[in-house]
Amino acid sequence: MGDPGFGAGLNTASRFRRLVGTKGPAAACRDVAKSFGDIEALRGVSLEVPWGVTFGLLGPNGAGKTTLLRVWLGLAKPTSGTASVLDHEIPPRAVLPRIGYMPQDLAVYLDLTVGENLALFGRLVGMEEEEIDRRTDEVLRIVDIAERRDSLVSTLSGGMRRRASLAAALLHDPDLLLLDEPTVGVDPELRAAFWVYFRDLTKRGKSVLITTHYMEEASNCDLAALMHRGRLLACATPAAIKERTGARNLDDAFLALVREANAT
Amino acid sequence: MRAGLRRTLAVTRKTLSQFRHDRRTLGFIVAMPLLMVVVFGYTFGGEVHNVRTLVVNSDAGPMASRLLENITGDTLALESSNASPRNCLAPGIGIFEANVCAAREEVFAGRAWAVLAFPENFSANLPPGNATITVVLDGSSPPIRAAVLGTLRGALEKTFAGAGAPFALELDYVYGSEDTRFIDSFAPGVVALAVLMVTTIFSVIMVVREKSGGILERLFATPLRSTELVVGLALALAVIAFAQSIVVMGAALLLFQVKVVGSIPLAFGILLLFGIGNQGLGIMLSSAAKNELQAIQFVPLILFPSLLLTGVFFPLEAIPSSFRPFSYVVPLTYASDALHSIMLRGWGVVEVGVDIVALLVYDALTLLGAAFFVRRQA
Repeated sequence: MGDPGFGAGLNTASRFRRLVGTKGPAAACRDVAKSFGDIEALRGVSLEVPWGVTFGLLGPNGAGKTTLLRVWLGLAKPTSGTASVLDHEIPPRAVLPRIGYMPQDLAVYLDLTVGENLALFGRLVGMEEEEIDRRTDEVLRIVDIAERRDSLVSTLSGGMRRRASLAAALLHDPDLLLLDEPTVGVDPELRAAFWVYFRDLTKRGKSVLITTHYMEEASNCDLAALMHRGRLLACATPAAIKERTGARNLDDAFLALVREANAT
Repeated sequence: MRAGLRRTLAVTRKTLSQFRHDRRTLGFIVAMPLLMVVVFGYTFGGEVHNVRTLVVNSDAGPMASRLLENITGDTLALESSNASPRNCLAPGIGIFEANVCAAREEVFAGRAWAVLAFPENFSANLPPGNATITVVLDGSSPPIRAAVLGTLRGALEKTFAGAGAPFALELDYVYGSEDTRFIDSFAPGVVALAVLMVTTIFSVIMVVREKSGGILERLFATPLRSTELVVGLALALAVIAFAQSIVVMGAALLLFQVKVVGSIPLAFGILLLFGIGNQGLGIMLSSAAKNELQAIQFVPLILFPSLLLTGVFFPLEAIPSSFRPFSYVVPLTYASDALHSIMLRGWGVVEVGVDIVALLVYDALTLLGAAFFVRRQA
């Protein structure tokens, strides 16, 4: 994996494991490859997402980030290799209620209210009705659309719709959050608030995995994995990545790593 | 099991909520079947009115006039022929009397549908039993042909019944009666057809919509199983289909006074079985579609064979035998046959057992297929 070390702050990972009652990492994969016809979306990726971290999965469009998430969720079957989440081999149907997923597409019903959308997803993961009701208020406050609970999603702005989608992923207080480009179309102020909330979650031992193609966003992460054309280029703390490549920011670090990968 | 039921019902509930928020679709759900029944009822209603029929009454005796008086109602518009007499030769029949010929010209020209001609010796020939009535008929329209002959037969029966006259026709009504109208025989098929249209359209559109928004993926990132999703959707649509059946049946019963001999709940049961299978089929087909435009094109694919092969508009007996096997593949055949037997013949569960089994097989196959395809394309 060419791992330059997790760095400070991650030694607590084992403590969090006990907190969430799991032995292994939050998510892991080994030599995972996935092709769709001629297109090789993943070409042998090995990765571990420890407990209690925000984990940034970075890379340009088409790097294979979303495919990797879909493999972990059991939505895409890897062509080869093994993967597990929450100590379960994929497909992880039994532990899906402990995973929160926000896809890149707006995956909420436009013709339902925000509240009805959340209620649906709550019921699907087996939450009780009172719990759904209580949590709906909470998560809508977190994403700052509490007053739109009874609005049809179709009447919301683009950013608000994404926030409703995020709220659906947070509703059941999952141990592992898989968020695919959650900050697209969200204004900076709210984006900062999201990061504060994600930190809160990791302090409780949960793991938050975020894909993004904005490199600077990764500076908020405890760990960052850089992906390029289906391969993992690096996985370390943002600081370690910058240090290793001698770059001032992650953008430059990424470019340096791509050059390095192309050279070998 | 309990959790699965809860997930299934969650899908049902959200789907009904979607309909609840969509007022226009909700209106459409009620209006479309209603429109179908009304349009079918009035256009195909089969009640023929004012068929222009010329009468050439040369009878010297009173019997022809007595018979004509018994032609009542507005089915036929009787008119004494007063065209100028001229001899003519009718192919295959022989020489007509001149005045019959003139009337026949009118039919030939398309200005009248039929001629009823009574010869001079009509009354005189009745007792020996060799009286004749010449009926000249434009046979190009079956409903009109049926109306003319039916009315005439009715009048004959009324005039000569009990008198032992040679025209007393013995009619054996196994089902229905002389009161059975076209629409009565027709309503069961139309009801089933309305349910077919609506259930397939909605299921096809709904699944494509779930697919296009990336929602299907999101749903399968929860413990929801594809069978639960499909059954949940089918349940919601069954509620809709049930409401529609009530509208359609209500319209048929109230607007057209369709006579139902058998059990109405059983008829609803048939509609429900049929509707569920249609949804399965719709979901299966929509899996093959990438967008709503593609999906909507499947609707005629289902509709046309159903219209033409199933005995809704023509009796199965009218379908060429080489095509008959196809009829037995189209589910509407069974639904329409069962409804026909229940509503008109008063048959019960046992008598329509074969149809029920066929519909159950249809439901099982399409729901399983739907579950399979929905999962596969996620």
